[in-house]
Amino acid sequence: MHISRRQFLGAAGAAAAPLLLAGCGFTTSNSAPAANSNTLTFTTWGTDSELAGFRSVIAGFEKANAGSTVALNAVPYAQMFTNIDAQLQAGNPPDIFRVPYYTFGRYAGSGQLLDLSPHVDKSFGDRFTPAAWAAVQNTAKPFGVPHHTDTSAILYNKAAFQAAGITSVPTTLDQAWTWDQFQQVLQTLRKTMPATKYPFAYNWQGNGVTRWLSWLFEADGRFLSPDLITPAIDSAAGRSAVDFTKGFFPQRLVPPNSAVKSSTLAADLWYSQTTAMVSSGAFAIPDATKTLTFDWGATFSPRRSRAASDFGGNALVATAKTKQPALAAAFLDYLTQQEQMNTFCAGASLLPTRRDLVAGGIKFAVRPELSPVFIGQASTVQAADSGQVASPSMSKIITVLKDQLEQAFIGGQSTDKTVAGISAGIAAATAPAR
Amino acid sequence: MTTRREIGGVSADVSLAAWSDAAGPPPARPPADPRRKRAGFAGESATAYAFLAPNMLLLLVFVLLPLGWALVVSLQQTNGFGAGTFVGLANYGHLFGDPLFWRSTLNTVLFTIIVTPLSMALGLGVAVLLNSVLPARGLFRSILITPMAISGVATALLGLLLFDENNGVLDKLLMAVGLPAVSWQSGTTAAFASVVLVTLWWRVGFNMLIYLAGMQSIGPELYEAARLDGAGAWQRIRYVTVPLVGPSSFFLLILNVIYSFQVFDIIFVMTGGGPQNATSVLVTYAYDQGFVTRDQGYAAAIGMVLLVLMLIFTAVQWRVSRNRDLVE
Repeated sequence: MHISRRQFLGAAGAAAAPLLLAGCGFTTSNSAPAANSNTLTFTTWGTDSELAGFRSVIAGFEKANAGSTVALNAVPYAQMFTNIDAQLQAGNPPDIFRVPYYTFGRYAGSGQLLDLSPHVDKSFGDRFTPAAWAAVQNTAKPFGVPHHTDTSAILYNKAAFQAAGITSVPTTLDQAWTWDQFQQVLQTLRKTMPATKYPFAYNWQGNGVTRWLSWLFEADGRFLSPDLITPAIDSAAGRSAVDFTKGFFPQRLVPPNSAVKSSTLAADLWYSQTTAMVSSGAFAIPDATKTLTFDWGATFSPRRSRAASDFGGNALVATAKTKQPALAAAFLDYLTQQEQMNTFCAGASLLPTRRDLVAGGIKFAVRPELSPVFIGQASTVQAADSGQVASPSMSKIITVLKDQLEQAFIGGQSTDKTVAGISAGIAAATAPAR
Repeated sequence: MTTRREIGGVSADVSLAAWSDAAGPPPARPPADPRRKRAGFAGESATAYAFLAPNMLLLLVFVLLPLGWALVVSLQQTNGFGAGTFVGLANYGHLFGDPLFWRSTLNTVLFTIIVTPLSMALGLGVAVLLNSVLPARGLFRSILITPMAISGVATALLGLLLFDENNGVLDKLLMAVGLPAVSWQSGTTAAFASVVLVTLWWRVGFNMLIYLAGMQSIGPELYEAARLDGAGAWQRIRYVTVPLVGPSSFFLLILNVIYSFQVFDIIFVMTGGGPQNATSVLVTYAYDQGFVTRDQGYAAAIGMVLLVLMLIFTAVQWRVSRNRDLVE
């Protein structure tokens, strides 16, 4: 068959048109919601287990609310917030999206989220733990629901512990190692490990630098005063947290390439058996169970003046421009009901934020015997701690923490200078204008 | 019989037979109608503009408008939401007192100064080799060009496998031969070296390709003449090849400098700007400010500084380059 130049160009143009349109933001995807007034758009990232949980909950919601649909848009985490920001800036955001607590404040503080107070009754917040409920507040109003949390405990390599003669690890929260005891464990491991191996890796890389704050909270310190503006880290607690953690590096208790700006993740160091222990969230349990060939267990993070932990995990929020605020609020309500939250958290190895589920316990679908460690660890999060992390200035504070802790850990910067630097950086970050 | 006549102001010998009286003088060409000429010119211009319009429109929409908008954003304090607050030149003023900006600028310039000449010199060297009668040169050319087909992120991930200081191939090799391991990820100088090495691996093939194309347009008789004049191999490269690939060098210099100033993906993936900001460059710093700190006005100001630096460099290079248009 003869194809003329004109026919060829025409066919090529027709074939390329969908790609060009997609590149311009148009899409012919079947997943696009129809123009249905009862359709909510919901954008999230997630592991396979998490997405399966969301799909299951959506199916239940649609069944319970005949005529309503929820269009799930699952995107990679790396693209999630550049997409969301672009959509918010263009005035065309999804109705619902998922957001980490440390990023929540930025959206709530800039008027991008739906105030849920008119759509939920006054007792709605009582279903959540105080720490979880505090993490979705802005100007004393709820702008989201705390869907789940995830906090860090310690995963350890049992063979490495046995080789070092460490035969027992804490099995209850009140037995958790103190900082001094933890230091002894680290030193014991160091003595028995080759120079290329290390006792521990902490998961403070990248935006995970907020997890360093657990050490500050364990020392009973704060980084923001209750007004969430004035820096409060210049304290004995602040200095002890910096001092203790920066000491890991010169003593070779952690790998030198595990500082806060490292591109090597702590979990990978533990997976490759470069370290004997790692600080990790429960979300790693399914993958670790599937891929690791060595025997491993979990125990609690160390404590000092008190036990503490990072308030990881994610909230679900509705956008201020949603055309269906009542339906969006109903969906958020449904997602956080007992059965739905239990199913989601157990399937994805995440921790619930409901009081009743925290009190009654939850069993992960994978390695259920580890559930009490992570639930116990999560119970140490205080509302005052999570409230600070939900500050609208947290994005800027994260940068300050990264720069200063990097200098302290591998740049030899003194503790006093580091604390002063963090304090000055927080003051600049919370200042109203440049 | 011929006679000399003036034709069109040019004296020429023409056959008289060609000018028979019967035929008469050749018909004069009627003078062009100036109105028609103008109409034709306008028509041609309209057609040209019509052909140019799609490109101009794309340039306007995707280059000039964002550029203008970035300038506007750089004069604001904004996190991307709402109208932002106009702060004049405050973002630019803030740059002067920001040590991380200066560190990133210094790193960018250092990276450019190291990578540009090295990638060009290595590219030229390899091109000279592969332009000779080297066995299997087609295969070698293909192998060297392969990195061009790999994305920067994938290249950086490969770099991570090589330079990982716990389990990387390079340190294992060094230790296997009794040498000490290098702190590719936690040592500031070593980390900088690692991104330079990966960038060179990525870029030398491209430089080689352009030089090879340039060299293949040089006639072999020039090398033959140089050889007869007693020029050795190095002198032939120095005095024949290098001057005659001037346009390629000019093109590569501009591109390499622009690529180096814009380096992002390799550094973002391999080092994230660390350790201790040793590999932070202007684009990674702008990214951090725009998408981590969410100070988009400040990030835009960094972007404008980067643009101005590149424009200045290109203008200077354009002015001083003597052999950019040199052809054989």
